Amino acid sequence: MESTFGLEIYASNKLFFSGRARSLTVPVEDGEKAFLAHHANLIAAIVPGEMRYEDADGNKMVVAVSSGFVEMINNRGKIFCLTVERPEEIDVRRAQEAKERAEEQLRQKQSIQEYRMSQLALARAMTRLRVTKEL
Amino acid sequence: MANAREIQSRIKSVQDTMKITNAMYMISSSKMKKAKKILEDTEPYFYNMQGAIARILRHVPDIQHPFFSVRHLVPTRERKTGIIVVTGDKGMAGAYNHNITKLTDEFMEKTPGYHRLYVLGMTGRQYYEKKNADVDGSFRYTVQKPTMHRARLISEEIVRAFLERELDEVHIVYTQMQNAAVMEAVDMQLLPLKKTSFSPFQIPVQAPQEEIEMYPSADVVLDTMIPNYLTGVIYGCLVEAYASENNARMTAMQASTDSAKKMLQELSIQYNRARQAAITQEITEVISGAKAQKRK
Repeated sequence: MESTFGLEIYASNKLFFSGRARSLTVPVEDGEKAFLAHHANLIAAIVPGEMRYEDADGNKMVVAVSSGFVEMINNRGKIFCLTVERPEEIDVRRAQEAKERAEEQLRQKQSIQEYRMSQLALARAMTRLRVTKEL
Repeated sequence: MANAREIQSRIKSVQDTMKITNAMYMISSSKMKKAKKILEDTEPYFYNMQGAIARILRHVPDIQHPFFSVRHLVPTRERKTGIIVVTGDKGMAGAYNHNITKLTDEFMEKTPGYHRLYVLGMTGRQYYEKKNADVDGSFRYTVQKPTMHRARLISEEIVRAFLERELDEVHIVYTQMQNAAVMEAVDMQLLPLKKTSFSPFQIPVQAPQEEIEMYPSADVVLDTMIPNYLTGVIYGCLVEAYASENNARMTAMQASTDSAKKMLQELSIQYNRARQAAITQEITEVISGAKAQKRK
């Protein structure tokens, strides 16, 4: 039995990846979730973080994702995230600035909504920085 | 008939105006091409996302979620409707802005209750502020160069207002581009989501229902999915409106360039006539002067 599954990764501005994959690891609320071929049907919410996948030729890819979800149905995986970025696409300085800005905002008194927005912005910035570190 | 100099200055002014309209035509055509490209890029995400939500709803038919609640208990007279109105930042685009405001006005007349407007674009804002409608003051976004970030801010705001019951319904009025020639102002309901709009055809009873696990739970999945979906929808609407605006401007500017050309042609005929008449008159004067001299 072949041990790959169909994988499509959709970012809001493009079809990021489409093809066969061997494994997929996505960030979820309580850590990470890994998928191999013939995983049970599942839909999971993705939180901003680092996503890894290995395509059919064994190339390992690390990308930064923002919030979205993954659906794994009948050995076909589809990922929908607002942004999916390769490490080389990320502007490190911009991410650094965004991180500092978010930290600054978190230190101030805010409404709960503003607090959550800054928290999410911080999560996105930190993911971007982490992914680029291995470059 | 006007004299030659007057006609000449008129020709000059028409030529200057034509330069402007021609430049605007070229700018808006390049902007429209860019917008169309962006629109094509977002389409796969958008349609597949819609399909995925439809699938979830099909497999979990009796789902209860705040985003789907129609709020029957709120009487129609007291319903609070939020309308996102997407207009342009400036005119010179034919009937583009007018169509949007007309549709919005009609919609507000048709539905009873309280309306709150979230206006995008300067022309719409000025129009509704003059009419003393309830325009959300903090909602100041431009429609130029739509970005995901802006769409996210807008959707966060309306989701918050909807969940905190400041609004019972949210609509968006924008211009849809059916093809290069046909554009239409449309009104779309964003919230509450209609389950039927996701699955257009009935599912046969015997269809095998697959078991799909939702992780961590169906509610949490929908909680992240639906705001994302709305962001996508709003982004799509913004991009489409932007493309339509530039398309409308392109057509309007082409029409005015054409009519400027026509005017120039007529004016140049008039100018030549006036010039010739002047020459003829001068010759007659010279000849009659010469004749008078000869007779002396």
